[in-house]
Amino acid sequence: MNTRSIRFRLVMWYAGLLAGVFFLLVVLLYFNLRHFLENDQRASEARRARQITQALLVHVKQTGEAYVASQVKDWFEPEINGRFIRITRADGGVIYESGPPKDGSFNPQEVPALTPSAQAEFSRKLALSGGKTMLVSALNFQSSDHIGYRVEFGELLDPVEAMLNHLFLQLAWGLPIAVLAVAVGGYLLVQRALQPVAQITCSAEQISQHNLSERLPVTRTGDELERLSHSLNRMIGRLDDAFQNSKRFVADASHELRTPLTILRGELEDLAENQRLDPDLRSRLGSLLEEVERLGKIVEQLFALSHLDAGEAQTEWARFDLATLAKTTAEQMSLLAEDKGLHIVCHADRKVPVEGDRSRLKQVVVNLLDNAIKYTPVHGTVQLNVRTINGHALLEVADDGIGIPPDALPHVFERFYRADPSRSGDSGSAGLGLAIVKSICTAHGAEVEVQSTVGGGSRFQVRLPLSRQPDSP
Amino acid sequence: MAMRILLVEDERKVADIIARGLKAERFAVDVAQDGQGGWEMADAYNYDLVILDLMLPGLSGTEILQRIRRKNQEVPILILTARNGMADKIKNFEAGADDYLTKPFAFAELLVRVKALLRRGPVNRSSVLRVGDLEVDRLSQQVRRAGRRIELTAKEYALLEYLATHPDRVFSRTMIIEHVWDQSFEGLTNIVDVYVRHLREKLDDPHPVKLIRTVRGVGYCLTEGGQP
Repeated sequence: MNTRSIRFRLVMWYAGLLAGVFFLLVVLLYFNLRHFLENDQRASEARRARQITQALLVHVKQTGEAYVASQVKDWFEPEINGRFIRITRADGGVIYESGPPKDGSFNPQEVPALTPSAQAEFSRKLALSGGKTMLVSALNFQSSDHIGYRVEFGELLDPVEAMLNHLFLQLAWGLPIAVLAVAVGGYLLVQRALQPVAQITCSAEQISQHNLSERLPVTRTGDELERLSHSLNRMIGRLDDAFQNSKRFVADASHELRTPLTILRGELEDLAENQRLDPDLRSRLGSLLEEVERLGKIVEQLFALSHLDAGEAQTEWARFDLATLAKTTAEQMSLLAEDKGLHIVCHADRKVPVEGDRSRLKQVVVNLLDNAIKYTPVHGTVQLNVRTINGHALLEVADDGIGIPPDALPHVFERFYRADPSRSGDSGSAGLGLAIVKSICTAHGAEVEVQSTVGGGSRFQVRLPLSRQPDSP
Repeated sequence: MAMRILLVEDERKVADIIARGLKAERFAVDVAQDGQGGWEMADAYNYDLVILDLMLPGLSGTEILQRIRRKNQEVPILILTARNGMADKIKNFEAGADDYLTKPFAFAELLVRVKALLRRGPVNRSSVLRVGDLEVDRLSQQVRRAGRRIELTAKEYALLEYLATHPDRVFSRTMIIEHVWDQSFEGLTNIVDVYVRHLREKLDDPHPVKLIRTVRGVGYCLTEGGQP
C-alpha cells in the first residue's frame, strides 16, 4: 500500500481522529459512571442508616439497646443481603454487628472502626482482603439522654466494579472495531470521491499530439474537480495552439524558403553552365549549388513532415502487399549497398497485406535501408525481414554496423537529431530521415522501435496493423 | 515563327531567370507580375503556353487557370508552385493544368517540361535515339556503341534512355530520381551517382570519347562533345 497516497493519508486521519474522540468519550463515560454509581450507593446506605436512627435509636431509652439490635437484624437481614451493619456507642460498646454474609463475600471482623469525624454523616472506602472494596457510610446520633451512637452501614462495591469492568471490556472491543469500520467506510468514500479524478487521468492519458483538439470530460459538480477539468482543458487548448503554431511555422517557413532557393539555384545554374568562366570558379559555383540542393532537400523534408503532421498521408489510401514492396525496394537499393561492399538479405513472407499510402510506406523502407547502409562498414550485411506476427505486419531492418550509443537511442527519431555530431557533413542528410519514418508510421497507426548495441548493429522494427479486408478475387 | 509563352510570376527575380533562360532557347516570353495583368494578357493574345505561379497578388493562379480554361481549352498550362501537397496537385489538374512544377526547380527541368508541352506529340518519333556513336533502341531496349552491343540492367537502361532523350541537357539528380525511380527515393540522390558510375564503366570506359558529362552541383548530361 502506498503510504503517501492521498487516499491512505485521508483514511488514516479519519481513523486517527475518530479513535481519539472515542477514547476521550470512553474515559469520560467510565469515570462519570463510576462516580455516579458510588454516589448512588452512598446515598442509599446513608438513607438506611438514617432509617435505623429515626425509627429505632430515637426510642432506645424506652426500648433498650437489645431491642434495637434485634429489630435491625429483622429489618435488614444483613447476612442474607450481603450487608454490613454495626451500631456502636460513643464509649466503644458495640450494640450490634452483623454476622458474616451467607455468600461469604466478606468477613465483618475485617472491617475496622472508622476514624471518627466531626461530621454527622460521612463515608469511607475500605479495602478488604481478596482485593475487595467496601463503601461504608456512617451516621452519628445523639439520643435524648445524651448518649452518642454511631450507625455504620456498608455494602461491597463489587457489583459496581463488575459492571464498570464489563462496560470497559465492551468498549475496549468495540472501539477498534468501530475505528476499523470507519476506516473501511472512509476508504470506500475517498475512492468514490477520487473516481472523477481517475476518469480525468484516464482521459488525459489518451491525449497526445495527434488528438490535441479533444477535451477531457467535465463533471458538472461545481467544485474543485470541475475546476480541475476546466483548467486541464484550458491547458490542453494552449498546448494545442502552441503545437499548431509550431506546425504552421514549419509549413510556412519551408514554403517561404522555396522562392529564394529557386532564385539562388536558377542564377547559380546559369553561371555554372557558362563555359567561358574559369574552371576553378565553375567548380566553386558547383559547390554552392550542392549546398543549395541540400537546403532544398531539407525544405522538402520539413514540408513532408508538416504534411504528415496534418494527416495528409490519408489521401492515397490503398491495400497492398508489404512483402512485395519490401522485396522490390531492396532490389532497387541493392546496387547502392553493393557499391559499399554490403549485402542486402531480404526475407519476406509470401503475402503480408496492409493498408496505407504505398509510396509513403515505401519511403519508410527506403529511409531505413539507407540508414542501415550508411552506418554499416564494408563487408557487412543488412537484413530486411517482413512477416506477420500476432495479427500484425512486422517489417524489420537489421544491420551489423556501428550501432547507436544507449544515450542517443531515445532520440534517434527526433527531428535534426544526430547520434554523432561529427557525422553531419558527410552524407548530405539533415537528420530528418528517421523523423519522417516515425511520422509516416504514426500516420499509419504503426509503431516503430529500435534496438541497438554499439559495435553490434541496430535493429529497427515497424509494426503495422494487417489489412482486415478480405482478399480481392 | 517563335513560340510565344506567357509567364505569370510575381517574384521579379524568378521571372527574370525563367524569361532569360527561355529567351536563350529562342522562345518569345511575355511576363506579367500580378494576377490581373496575367489574366488580361492571357485574354488578349493567343499564347502557345502559359506558365502560371499559384501565389499571386490580385487574382490567384487557380482563378486565372479557371478563367483561361473557360475561354480556351487548347493552350497548355504549366503550374509553378511553392506547395507540393497532393491535394493541391489534384485540385489544379482537375481545374485544367497540364503540368506541375514545385519550387525550387532546376531550370533544365522547366525547359524539358515546356518543350514536352509545346511538342504536341513526341519530338523524337524515331524509336532509335542517337548521341555520337551511341544508339539507344527504345523498342528492343538494346544499346550499341560504335556498333558493339552493351548489356545493361533495366535501371541502367532507363537512366541512359532518359539522358538520351535530351542530349546536351543537364539533368538534376532529383529529376533523374523522379523519372527513373519514384518519389520514395527523393533525397537519396547518391543512388543516382552509383548508377551513373556503373553506366560509365560499361559505356565510356572502353572508349576515348566520354559521353556522360558531370556538371558539378547541377547533375549529368549525355553529350556528343564529351567531358572536357
